[in-house]
Amino acid sequence: MAQGVVVDTTFWGARQGGVAALERELTRLRRAQSAHARELGRPIARASVLNLIVYADREEHARRAARSIADLALRHPSRAIVVLVDRGAREGLDERIEMHCRLPIADGARLVCYEQILVRAHGDVEDRLASAVIPLLVPDLPVFLWWTGTPPLGSRSFGDLLRLTDRLVVDSADFARPEVTLPIIANISEAARGRFGLTDLNWTRLTPWREIATAFFDVPSWRLFLDGITGLRVGFAVDMDGRDIHPSQALLFVGWLASRLGWRPLETLAPSEAGGLLFAIARPDGARIMVRVRPRFERGLEEGDISGVRIQAARGRQLAEFVVKRQPSPRHQTATVLLDGQPRWERTMPLPSPAIVELIGEELSILGSDRTYEAALAALVELA
Amino acid sequence: MQRLLPATFSIVGTARKALSHEEYREELHAAVAQHSRTRPLNEEVWHSFAEHLHFVATPDDAGYEELRRTLDQLDFALGTHANRLFYLATPPPAYEPIVKAIGEHRLRGQTGWARIVVEKPFGHDRESARALNEVVHTVFREDEVFRIDHYLGKETVQNILVLRFANGIFEPIWNRQYVDHVQITVAETIGVEERAGYYEQAGAMRDIVQNHLLQLLALVSMEPPAAFDDKAVRDEKVKVMRALRPIAGEDLAKNAVRGQYTRGFIEGVPVPGYREEPGVAPDSRTETYVALKSWVDNWRWEGTPFYLRTGKRLPKHSTEIAIQFRVAPHQLFSREALAGLEPNALVLRIQPDEGISLKFGAKVPVQGIRIRAVNMDFDYGASFMVDAPDAYETLILDALRGDATLFTRHDEVDEQWAFVDPIIKGWAESPGGPALYEAGTWGPVEADNLIERDGREWRKA
Repeated sequence: MAQGVVVDTTFWGARQGGVAALERELTRLRRAQSAHARELGRPIARASVLNLIVYADREEHARRAARSIADLALRHPSRAIVVLVDRGAREGLDERIEMHCRLPIADGARLVCYEQILVRAHGDVEDRLASAVIPLLVPDLPVFLWWTGTPPLGSRSFGDLLRLTDRLVVDSADFARPEVTLPIIANISEAARGRFGLTDLNWTRLTPWREIATAFFDVPSWRLFLDGITGLRVGFAVDMDGRDIHPSQALLFVGWLASRLGWRPLETLAPSEAGGLLFAIARPDGARIMVRVRPRFERGLEEGDISGVRIQAARGRQLAEFVVKRQPSPRHQTATVLLDGQPRWERTMPLPSPAIVELIGEELSILGSDRTYEAALAALVELA
Repeated sequence: MQRLLPATFSIVGTARKALSHEEYREELHAAVAQHSRTRPLNEEVWHSFAEHLHFVATPDDAGYEELRRTLDQLDFALGTHANRLFYLATPPPAYEPIVKAIGEHRLRGQTGWARIVVEKPFGHDRESARALNEVVHTVFREDEVFRIDHYLGKETVQNILVLRFANGIFEPIWNRQYVDHVQITVAETIGVEERAGYYEQAGAMRDIVQNHLLQLLALVSMEPPAAFDDKAVRDEKVKVMRALRPIAGEDLAKNAVRGQYTRGFIEGVPVPGYREEPGVAPDSRTETYVALKSWVDNWRWEGTPFYLRTGKRLPKHSTEIAIQFRVAPHQLFSREALAGLEPNALVLRIQPDEGISLKFGAKVPVQGIRIRAVNMDFDYGASFMVDAPDAYETLILDALRGDATLFTRHDEVDEQWAFVDPIIKGWAESPGGPALYEAGTWGPVEADNLIERDGREWRKA
């Protein structure tokens, strides 16, 4: 008889027969935990401030997500529902959904208990997946849907889960073709305005780059160059053979500048050498800005991460260049300002490279939509 | 099993079919072993309990005579003074003949008290309820009639009264000034199961709205009674039921939605549609879902709507009452900061996860102001660490003690039907049928429209 892959019950908890049984088991576990804690004189609070649904189609991703959630328990205690879908289940195995649950104790957080549920689905469960997830949601708490991998746009289960969601969390660094997927997601989010917000972990990674770029133009005399930008170059990391091209972070940076500075599309994105992109954008005054997004091989960088930014500007006869470079080991950024080719200012700053858990932790604190991100995406859509 | 019953008592089972005492005890043993809260069953305790169990078959008049003799003998042997509690766990059509038989065969004892417990539904409309009442009153006085609505026996339902009237902070804001609206949800995941014969005739309106939902509505909206006794509490409930605005005529299409489930999925398992269930007509117009917008027309609630909904094959088994309060009159925080704020709500969860939670906005611990709705939770199970007694345990003990506070009085039933009848009648006369909804969803889209029209939405129960 065909058997499904056995789930590691020490990690995911014992298998439960249905939602009611699962809730009973969680109640039992909570009571046992709180009775034990009372004996020690340290009562445990059951805390959850959000429902977090994680969708994964590989156990490895599901586990990684579950560990991240455990690390987040102090900041964002949640009911975590990890949905692991094994679409390619072997033949002869019916579509079925099993559930496991556990109350993991987060590191150093013995006073807070949170709940971890695994929903494991086999085979074609498109039409029924949501019906297994809905009854597991804690009523009245916001629902975050963290979709690992490229969202299967147009699939029923994705649409069903999206309808439950207050905020969709994706990582465009994982998208197979971000230049196609990002605009579609932007459209979905635009259509759902007010119903759910959209978050991209890759956007969160961009924060230090946005901060330093903004800092240049906080200086009153350099601020004047903002209206005179003539060129923009953004480099992003690829691996040695240049096979995997993930320009989404770099594109988001371009989209962000375009949306903040009111740049309009002049030409559509056009591929250039070695997986790069070269195109022109119009400033509000109509002048052309050449934008070059290009892949670079650099040791010690995650694929897709921005490796450097160069903003060229002119004001009257004076030329300026604002340059930020990422330096490997130890990780830091150097920011340089050149006026008429002469270095006038240089500064070195630490460059955090946050783990995914910190990124998601940051995003879970936002419930409303991130207007700046949405605007950046919208600008990208216009360019595409 | 918890030593709650008096020292001497006996339980006499009766039905039309014939069973020996032993067979009856075995049947009960199996049932208790399966359902008792104290498992595994302590056989010693069971044996001492089983001695009190007897069975008499009552297929005809001779059977009832036999029953009377048995009861008299037991009274004599146990010194129970002919105190008798009759419990009718039968289909509704049997109520009338049984009550008549109790009268004709003088099953009421000569000396002690006699009480009768009747299950819901009491009648199938106002007229039949009144007729049944008349029959019951030929044998029992009203204070001897205990109409069970097991919802009233639930700890959390009783706690509504405690929350409202034992605390000083809730009642002052429990009115139109502070409450924007109230939502009461009774959601079931089950379908009609084996009850198609009954359900086809009843529908969700008679099965849930007429009794459970209206009881919850009454407890939430009633005025404070002067005392916690059966008269004072039920007087107030009847008063508020009388204030319930009828839904009829034009209001029907606007303020009432009926639905019927089609095939879908519950917890990932495929389930048939209502019309595919065994015993259901393939063109049945019976409603398995009801949503209502109702008004309590009195000083306290003028302008505060009560949204009620119930249904079968909804995605989640859940009963709750949510009091949603008005938003702050003046907002000092920016729109971005307020994105995560929701109106304050006090939610009474009846089942599962019995408890109470209060929702309010709190500052998210980041730089700057960002506000997020959080819940302050009281969880019965975690706070008291005991299982609440089953609703029926509570109610049967109350009936034995003669306390009718948690039972439905005849005038209450009358008012409940007065509210429900015109809706059922209106639906029967209207050409359309119930709106369809897929099993495993939160009801038809018409129900969403009912509340969204007012700029509100159903809670995520």
